[in-house]
Amino acid sequence: MSEDSQIFVIKTTANQERSVAMALARVAKKEKLDIRAILAPDELKGYVLVEAPKSGIVELAIQTIPHARAIVKGSSSISEIEHFLKPKPVVTGIKEGAIIEVTSGPFKGEKARVKRVDEGHEEITVELFDAVVPIPITIRGDTVRILKKENE
Amino acid sequence: MPEKVCRHCLRVLEGQTCPVCGTSDLAEEWSGLVIILDTERSEIAKKLGVDIPDRFALKVR
Repeated sequence: MSEDSQIFVIKTTANQERSVAMALARVAKKEKLDIRAILAPDELKGYVLVEAPKSGIVELAIQTIPHARAIVKGSSSISEIEHFLKPKPVVTGIKEGAIIEVTSGPFKGEKARVKRVDEGHEEITVELFDAVVPIPITIRGDTVRILKKENE
Repeated sequence: MPEKVCRHCLRVLEGQTCPVCGTSDLAEEWSGLVIILDTERSEIAKKLGVDIPDRFALKVR
């Protein structure tokens, strides 16, 4: 029955989410446990989501898995975790005219104004404040921090 | 060898071509991991439209 699918949350060591997910899949296959899907979204650090009908199955599966620490009490429904299945582009929320700070790369720490946002490639084109001549540079959308939104 | 992801079906692969799509259009940068074990009964598999159990990425660059 697909109706009885529930989502259980496993607490893991930070940065070990993928290895826990892989190990869990291996154990589930080997022991023929009724684990239907395993989800390790990057946004959710230190947790792995497991789709199974009962918490007992998940508890049994994580016993031998290193870095899987505990199962979080209670369960969630699919609708509560649905947003993890459709990640938004990282440039969502960055608008033209916004002021950002570059967080990595050769321009780390520099402040700049956003000139163009490319959602498809997840890149933004900015002009650095400290540059003598304004030269537009294109950087990845996930290497910036928004300091001021467009109309503030 | 770092795992790659097929840009078409988002499958996580180890080789140079996707065995399902047959394409070599693979992405090295990807995020989010979903492992589908039971396509028949998994709600997540239905939401993602997956019909073959495998490992998938949620997003590729």
